[in-house]
Amino acid sequence: MSTKRLTRGIGVGAVAMLALAACGGNGDDGAGGGNGDGGSEDPIDIGISLPLTGDFAEPGKGVERGYETWAHVVNENGGLLGRQVELNILDDASDAARVVSDYESLIARDEVDLVFGPFSTRLVVPASRVANEYGMLFVEPAAAAAEVFENGFENIFYAAPAIAPDHYNHLVDHILAMPEDERPQTMAVAAMDDPFAQGTAYGLRDKLAEAGVQVVVDEVYPPNQTDFNAIAAQIADADPDLVVGGTQYQDAVNLILALQQLNYQPRMAAFSTAPTNPEFPEAVGGAVEGILSPTGYSNEADWPSNAEFVEAHTELHGEPPQEDEANAYTTGQVVAAAVEEVGCAEQGECQQQLIDYLRDATVDTVVGPLAWDEAGRPNGAHMLLQYIDGEIEIVLPEDTSTAELVYPKPEW
Amino acid sequence: MITGTLLFQSLILGVLLGGLYALLAAGLTLYFGIMRVVMLAHAAFIILAAYIAWRFSTATGLDPMISLVFTIPLFFGIGFAIQRWLISRLKPATMTMMSVLITFAIALIIEGLLGQVFTGTQRRINLPYGASSVDFFGAAIPVVQIISFVLAGLSLIALYLVLKKTRFGRALRATIQHREAAQLVGIDTNRTAGLGFGLGLATAAVGGTALSLQATIFPSLHWHWIGPLMAIIVVGGLGSVPGAAIAALLLGIIRVMLELWWTPTWAQTIFYLALFLTLMVRPQGFFGGRLAQRF
Amino acid sequence: MRSASDERTRPAPALSAAAGGVGGTSRLRPVIAIAVVVAVLALWPSVAPNAYMLSAGVVVLNYAVLATGWNIMGGFTGYISLGHVAFFGLGSYGTGLLVIHTGMNWLLATLVSALAVAVITVPIGFAALRVRGSSFVIVTIALVLVLQLIFQSWSVVTGGSGGLVVPRPFPDMLRPEHHETFFYIFLALLAVTLLVWTVIDRSRFGASLKGVREDEDKAESLGAPTGKLKLIAFVISAFFVAVAGGFYALWFADLDPLFQFRIILSSWIVLMALLGGVRYLFGPLLGAIVVGSALEYFVLEHGDTQFHLVATGLLLGLVVLFLPDGVLTGVAQLFRRFRPEATSIREVSAEDLRRQQEEQEAPQQPTTSKEASDDRG
Repeated sequence: MSTKRLTRGIGVGAVAMLALAACGGNGDDGAGGGNGDGGSEDPIDIGISLPLTGDFAEPGKGVERGYETWAHVVNENGGLLGRQVELNILDDASDAARVVSDYESLIARDEVDLVFGPFSTRLVVPASRVANEYGMLFVEPAAAAAEVFENGFENIFYAAPAIAPDHYNHLVDHILAMPEDERPQTMAVAAMDDPFAQGTAYGLRDKLAEAGVQVVVDEVYPPNQTDFNAIAAQIADADPDLVVGGTQYQDAVNLILALQQLNYQPRMAAFSTAPTNPEFPEAVGGAVEGILSPTGYSNEADWPSNAEFVEAHTELHGEPPQEDEANAYTTGQVVAAAVEEVGCAEQGECQQQLIDYLRDATVDTVVGPLAWDEAGRPNGAHMLLQYIDGEIEIVLPEDTSTAELVYPKPEW
Repeated sequence: MITGTLLFQSLILGVLLGGLYALLAAGLTLYFGIMRVVMLAHAAFIILAAYIAWRFSTATGLDPMISLVFTIPLFFGIGFAIQRWLISRLKPATMTMMSVLITFAIALIIEGLLGQVFTGTQRRINLPYGASSVDFFGAAIPVVQIISFVLAGLSLIALYLVLKKTRFGRALRATIQHREAAQLVGIDTNRTAGLGFGLGLATAAVGGTALSLQATIFPSLHWHWIGPLMAIIVVGGLGSVPGAAIAALLLGIIRVMLELWWTPTWAQTIFYLALFLTLMVRPQGFFGGRLAQRF
Repeated sequence: MRSASDERTRPAPALSAAAGGVGGTSRLRPVIAIAVVVAVLALWPSVAPNAYMLSAGVVVLNYAVLATGWNIMGGFTGYISLGHVAFFGLGSYGTGLLVIHTGMNWLLATLVSALAVAVITVPIGFAALRVRGSSFVIVTIALVLVLQLIFQSWSVVTGGSGGLVVPRPFPDMLRPEHHETFFYIFLALLAVTLLVWTVIDRSRFGASLKGVREDEDKAESLGAPTGKLKLIAFVISAFFVAVAGGFYALWFADLDPLFQFRIILSSWIVLMALLGGVRYLFGPLLGAIVVGSALEYFVLEHGDTQFHLVATGLLLGLVVLFLPDGVLTGVAQLFRRFRPEATSIREVSAEDLRRQQEEQEAPQQPTTSKEASDDRG
């Protein structure tokens, strides 16, 4: 290694370093050097990282739409604390290392005033750590798995009625309320190895098992599994009364197709997430009759802010909102409520005040009134929807239902 | 609780899957035989073919297998081009390593473009016969898997006929066996190599279309396939098409049957176990016969 | 008849700068070079305008260690491993699990985990090296794929998809301070890795490895135990990558099998080393800085990452086809073309050669030198 090359190397290195320092220091647009001083003209910057590309792109874009609707509605109504809100959204491509850098750059480099959470448990956990270590309030629309709340962070709040294990609580109550000989006696569980999907399925499984329902098949499959013949064969062979899928989307479709191919007819079928997707009925060849699914949101629910939300969203995006979009909107509502009450929106002390306020508050949102425990878990419960005559109906809890739960399930 | 029916059904499913594996692995081992190239992009092309079939089907409403009419010649041409313009430019001394990098780069580019154009959403073709199955002595066999198997079987037979009965096939086998000797006998090995590559990629076209009938596809799916396929060709003996076919069938059956006891993920590891064992015990592969050598 | 390659041209020193020079001082030169480079890099925390840029620096240093570690195998033996991320992931998880279950000191845990990885690498390397180049490639890629599967399924041990949370070694530090501390930790690791590389480079071990790279058959026929040599290089390389993995786990804290065992990371490592130049000490470091910062910058400003794959693929392809020895060599070659001596195929200019001949042959008969110079004609 000659000195000539060495000096050249060092020279390049030094130049590179300086160039990078210059690049990185520029920060962003003129949204102000951060701490929101400057009166009511200065917009509130909200930093968000979402998976707009990669594995979680579909729901990620849904969350983005929800946030946009929220910003639109808030700005139309005069903004927060008299200031307009501006969303600063970065794409993390469904990558955990990326989401950390994104929030780091939003908080430390762009000095945003507030942050909203990303989508998916895989991304929320590392992101919440960043927010926690900078002392920021972290309301998130999408991570419901138990472990999100077990890290000892005090700044997380989940913007939906219940965490994953509690999604099926109403169904459990309904089943246990049935006379013993009518109830499902056996159940099969097939869950994706994903904290959320498993969370929902195992919540149902554990509560029913405790009540005496026998678990005859209990399978886990990796997220990218596409071939369900083996699992379906096991389930069909055991012929349980109830089949529970801890699923996302395509896996549910594939599993249901496989079960159909084997001619297995469950008496009750519950799948998470997939049935709430508008493409679901076509994907499973129309065989949706009687399928149950937990949902946190419904367009027709008559919470006070819901009508405005549905209208604004349909106008802005051309379609009524889905659950992910609603959760995003809810996130915005929760943060807005705290900001309005506490009266500030900036990094630093303010964030802790926002956190303390939300700890004891109840906020009215499009999914109903939300309140949280000391780890940020909401204390509500999800509704149950069911496909009846090809239409989605809310069947549980009875007081908000639009139709009665159909049991046993008609053939595929 | 495993019943006789379940076992029988798994066996049948294993055979069907093994047939598909055999077709997919045949192309991969062909490249290796011809040019000592580990073509990492093979699985990516398979997925590309699957995407084309899906897009064709959703755009025209016709059965995806019809897309084979243009994908086979298209892929054949691409294979030829890759060999002639990329692989042949590499220095022979570092051929294996550099070709790995180039084909790896191609695989990345394909995955990136697919993701760009079609996004990462998982896709599945909605076939009218997608959910139907045939009853075979008590085992329910999905129709789409039977069709895949038939497609794969026909292609393998066609491949066999080409290799054994045509002049080109003989030239190809000669080139695989001993390149210099083939040249001495007057075979234009460069052109033959190019055509052989094209043939390999054409099998990817068929394999991908067959896959699209029964599987859910997404851009990074090829990583899920390249591992098992590489393991198969090593177990079968690098460069030997019949070896790869036998290994594919065997490992396919074992894998599906293992799913009765283990989770699908653990069942998948059988390929890697077989790879490791083969390399330790008999690096030239088990089923290749005289054709497979220690390269 | 004398050939041109004999003593007449020997005395002239090679003007090509590739030779490291001879003599005692040059042995110290790379060590000094490393010290200087490390000192320059150590200025980053003071220069970085905010905590985010500092954390980006940590990421780049991590890449630099991975690339340099990889280069211990890839550069010297010519065996391109596309599976080095496997060791990274194993090191991460190993360290994380040790710290969680035994409460070991973080540095000790990292070293123990890396040693364990090195031990595991022995049978893997043995299988990988069985069929020369082809099995190596296959096994290294298969390694990453199978480990991703295993780590995802074995949730009892690894936390599966739920991820593994590694406790911070310095729980009371603020985040920016934390980044700074780890920056220095990674810098120290980089210094050690560079040192090891240069020691191997100048040793007989290294020379044998390079022999394998240049012509393996010849090396074998000369009696070099190529199998053992390659295995040792592979294990050393894996060790350093595993240490980097351990430090990364301690810094990043949230491990997820999908992200610890990503093939694209493997391809970036290879790209960085190739781009910078596998034959140079600082080649991989340069490659890491260039590619690493480009990655951070592009994704931050443009976000669309499916393009990443295409860009990585294109860049990799271009480098392999046109710049197989790296940017540094390419640039050096470019410079050399514009020097006057470079247009000749000889190492010495005609002037010098004639002078040498006259000096050497002055005491001899005139006819011989005339004959000889006629030969040269």
